[in-house]
Amino acid sequence: MLAAGFEFHTPADLSEALRLLADKGPEAKVLAGGMSMVPAVNLGLLRPTCVVSLNHVSGLDSIDDSGDELRIGALVRHARIVSDPAIRQHAPALAAAASVIGDVQVRNRGTIGGSVAHADPAADYLPVLVAFGATIVVQGPQGTRELPAREFFLGVMLTQLTADEIVTEVRVPKLPPGAGSGYARLARVEGAFAIANAAAFVDGSRCVIGIGAAVPAPVVTELALGSQPDDAGLERVAEAARAACEDAYDDLSGSAGYRRAMAGVYARRAVSLAIEARG
Amino acid sequence: MSAVKTSITVNGTQRDLDIDPRLTLVYLLRENLGLTGTHVGCTTGNCGACTVLLDGKTVKSCSIFAADVDGSELVTIEGLSTGARELHPIQQAFVDHQGLQCGFCTPGMVLSALALLEKNPTPSEDDIRHAISGNLCRCTGYQFIVESIQAAAAARA
Amino acid sequence: MSYVGQSMPMMTNARLAAGKGMFVDDVQLPGMTFMAVLRSPYAHARIRGIDVSAAEALRGVLYVATGREIGEQTNPIPETYDTAAVGAKGVSWYALCVDRARFVGEAVAAVVAEDRFTAYEALDLIEVDYEELPAVSDPEQALEPGAPLVEPDWGDNLMASRDIRLGDPDTAFAEADGVVEGVVKSARITGAAIEPRGCVASWDPYKEALTFWDSTQAPHAVRMYLARTLGIADTSIRVIQPHVGGAFGLKLPTFQEEPLCAYLSMKVGRPVKWIETRAENLLVGGHARDTSFRYQAAYKADGELTGIRLDVIADVGAPSALCGWGMSFVTWYCLPCVYKCENSETHLRSVVTNKCPWNAYRGYGKDAASLLMERIMDHIAKATGIDRTEVRFRNFVQPDEFPYPQVSGAMLDSGNYPGALRKVMEMIDYEGFPALQEEARREGRRIGLGIAMELTPEGCSMPGSLMLNGTDSTEVRITPNGNVIVLTGITSPGCGNETGIAQIVADALRCDFSRISVVQGDTETCPWGFGNYSSRSIIIGGSAAQVAGDEIHDKMRQVAANMLEASADDIEVVDEQFVVRGSAGRGGVGFEDVAREVYSNPHGKNMEGIEPMLQSVRQWKMPNVYHQPEKQGRFSAYPSWPYGAAAAIVEVDPESGHVKILRYCLVEDAGTIVNPLLVDANLHGGIAQGIGGAMFEQIAYDESGQPLTATFMDYTLPTAVELPRLEIGHQQTPAPFTPLGTKGVGESGVGGTLGSLCSAIENALPEVDLHLTELPLTPSRIWEAIRNAPVPAGAAA
Repeated sequence: MLAAGFEFHTPADLSEALRLLADKGPEAKVLAGGMSMVPAVNLGLLRPTCVVSLNHVSGLDSIDDSGDELRIGALVRHARIVSDPAIRQHAPALAAAASVIGDVQVRNRGTIGGSVAHADPAADYLPVLVAFGATIVVQGPQGTRELPAREFFLGVMLTQLTADEIVTEVRVPKLPPGAGSGYARLARVEGAFAIANAAAFVDGSRCVIGIGAAVPAPVVTELALGSQPDDAGLERVAEAARAACEDAYDDLSGSAGYRRAMAGVYARRAVSLAIEARG
Repeated sequence: MSAVKTSITVNGTQRDLDIDPRLTLVYLLRENLGLTGTHVGCTTGNCGACTVLLDGKTVKSCSIFAADVDGSELVTIEGLSTGARELHPIQQAFVDHQGLQCGFCTPGMVLSALALLEKNPTPSEDDIRHAISGNLCRCTGYQFIVESIQAAAAARA
Repeated sequence: MSYVGQSMPMMTNARLAAGKGMFVDDVQLPGMTFMAVLRSPYAHARIRGIDVSAAEALRGVLYVATGREIGEQTNPIPETYDTAAVGAKGVSWYALCVDRARFVGEAVAAVVAEDRFTAYEALDLIEVDYEELPAVSDPEQALEPGAPLVEPDWGDNLMASRDIRLGDPDTAFAEADGVVEGVVKSARITGAAIEPRGCVASWDPYKEALTFWDSTQAPHAVRMYLARTLGIADTSIRVIQPHVGGAFGLKLPTFQEEPLCAYLSMKVGRPVKWIETRAENLLVGGHARDTSFRYQAAYKADGELTGIRLDVIADVGAPSALCGWGMSFVTWYCLPCVYKCENSETHLRSVVTNKCPWNAYRGYGKDAASLLMERIMDHIAKATGIDRTEVRFRNFVQPDEFPYPQVSGAMLDSGNYPGALRKVMEMIDYEGFPALQEEARREGRRIGLGIAMELTPEGCSMPGSLMLNGTDSTEVRITPNGNVIVLTGITSPGCGNETGIAQIVADALRCDFSRISVVQGDTETCPWGFGNYSSRSIIIGGSAAQVAGDEIHDKMRQVAANMLEASADDIEVVDEQFVVRGSAGRGGVGFEDVAREVYSNPHGKNMEGIEPMLQSVRQWKMPNVYHQPEKQGRFSAYPSWPYGAAAAIVEVDPESGHVKILRYCLVEDAGTIVNPLLVDANLHGGIAQGIGGAMFEQIAYDESGQPLTATFMDYTLPTAVELPRLEIGHQQTPAPFTPLGTKGVGESGVGGTLGSLCSAIENALPEVDLHLTELPLTPSRIWEAIRNAPVPAGAAA
């Protein structure tokens, strides 16, 4: 049922947050937007003894353009990612993915860092981050680690993050001139977790596809594609996506076979969107 | 477990509170502050009956720990109507156009409508439907809710 | 002026929109305590022992109750209706499991504590010694020899089994030009009112009286059920229904938690609140509709349906005192719905499994009957090549044949089925659709149109039942100041019948609407009645209100006539003035004048021979309920037979199976309409829940009986984005058996969604011979069905 009670900390800076995690041990949980964590506590599925909130930590909510990357603070909320001009210009698929997370209220509170750290297989950001080759920046007692998104996600709610570390930033490479990106998803109802989702990054003949939701952790696949691919070309995209989803899983929303097939369909749609959106 | 000192402004009144960390915002409002217009329908952030404005933005108060909003400004449904009997024009539109039945989802729905119209004074039907997709209603099929919001938008124009 | 027939917003709107409603969780009393319930984690387990010592020792815990105590100290919860009398098996269901839990979530123990957190914390400290028993979750498996038994004493898993032959099905099938056959399965669903269940019990040990606030549809019934369960006089219990945040049938019967909460308040001598969590609601709040049909239908070359053979398996979950399992009978009883077919053979089995019991839910089995019949009509159309609408026109009960006796015993009261279908075909532009479909196809979009009829019998009255009953009462009082108070046994858990009743009474009294206030949902003040279910409120409570209002008006008219020294027959009422006919504007007496005269001059000349006061409580009994088959030649529990014709247009994405509903039209016959706005509001809700069950919602269990849908993340309700703009039309054939001609409307709109959406999706993909057989119509199911569908010979791919 409900947790028996826990300590609650609202540190004002990152070092204090890290110190708390180090002191309290692995039962301490990091809270960001809380859109997954608070419901889990309400349901009694998660029973922390200590919660460290990042919501009052300064310096985690900026979006900076470093030249070839966008550096998005972990505490940037989804609604801001939807509307931020720099993200819309340089990583439009990320804004598109953010725009379909949950609903207005969830987007007003949920954060990109929280979503990345939680690593729900159906999270909308994940296929975009692997397709773009983003970097997840984490800080811990040993200092800072910069981890490629393609290696960061290990399985269902499982990442390289250790219990004493905090995701502090997500770095997304900016689309090169002439490149395009797209995001497409299938869900039962508005705001529900995706059954399959896909992001595409298209630059010249290079086509990178990230696929999530159909598989426990996002996968990425790459192929060469003509600049105006015909049906056969798009079918190669679908085939590559299906092949990348060997680990597709069954649940109420669909069988593994269905998920694999949908990975193909939505990868193709993401690629079509990316081609349309090319600068 | 020790209580957390938290200062918040609720419907214009500042409150200094000692909060049990387990307490979510919705129960703080309902049980500690007596603001029972904010409802609990799921505690998993799905139904939206607990929607309130946190620093001007709609959020689901079942999915936020009360101890985590120190320094924030909250507006609940009780904060919309100014007098003892007066209704905000959006509430009045819901009343006139039958944008409710049992009334349980209504406070959250009204706040989502308000947030939409503040941002987009002339929403399309599709805009409205997306804007309230985080508020589940089981009685109305959303039809008269959409019409109420359209009427409220027209009245503001 | 007349109020009946006018659109008026609900009288409750302003308070609820202001957030000033009073729902059960808003009830706050001095000394309030909180109850939490420990629930079985097993689908089937023997409870060998329970150690509550650690829970009791937790600071703030006031009381811990177990099944042993409840079994000794209380009575079983009374059944909604007598199972044995209708040939079914029943169980003694206590407020806590006494020695065996039969589904995940069944109540095993309860804690009362000073606050919510402590109560839940204490649940973790209760140690139950369970012996897990074999469980059965699939109804087909439950029927196999050697299957685990949900009730070992029964010897099998059949709650009820019936073989019913009507007419001469053998000849019908032998002489048929063709036979279609198929399977259709409707999913296990639930009502999911946004407000979960809840109650507050406050026992006054000195007065020996219980005040009980309950999110219920039927306060009087709850009072009696509590009295029987607790073994106290019903007159020592007051049940108050606060605002109810949606009910839809699921808050009609008495559950385990209500007597439990009351019992615990008596034990601790303080008010006890219980508020269900959403997870609990999905787990134990009652499920519905989980039924599979195997059917054969015999037809003639011209599309006439001549015979039906049916094998029905209803998975009713674990047996309980709830009234849900009766839905499986109602499904059969509705057949063949709006059509004529004298010959049928039905093998109906209501099977128990280790899952949550069925409970009443909007549609109450009528939805499943409509689904089945509409599937049969579509299949006959496919098999004969006759247009889908034509097949229906050919089989309808005709408008001049009412009241129409169905072979089941049902007596359809009134209607115009072909008229409704023609209207909905116009609304959706049935004739113009092929061109639209072709145009869409050229754009690479697949759209389809589906149609379906629905039949939704209402006002259910069961023999021997103090919960499902075709009577009710309404009291009308006029105060000496000329204000009107209406107290009624029907209740309004958010559906607006208080407003409809006020309209009826204002018209009966010829007074201004603003004079009327309505009191509902309090056993202390309201006359006896059965609350709200089966769309009964306006037809039964409204009829009682009409009769009571008429009686008072007659008295006022006589007093006014005496005041004006005229004959009552010559009195008319114009703008609340009682005047001699033809003399409007030239003197008369006002509504308030008459009221004051009655109260202030009871011994005066105007009141000679007239009973004092303006108060009337009147009862209404539906005249066309048949409970005496030996005398009446039939059994029929339903007096009102509203129906509708639905049409849907959908767009199907054949690659993903995703469906978008583009249009949904319903033409509904609610008889005489008291309030068009609120009729439409109710229909919108019915359609929305119908669409939810058809396309999005499903309660799922794994093979061991563990539930898979614990939150709204898994049990997906449609949002405003999935639902289309709903288009409503009306066909009014007044009911012959109610004073105003009203019919039930609260459940209407559900039934037509199921068949019309199946029909529309199949119609969108004419290139494959698609047969949808299982609800909900999820993308993955549609995708699988498309992959498995044969391509008809000669069809262009």
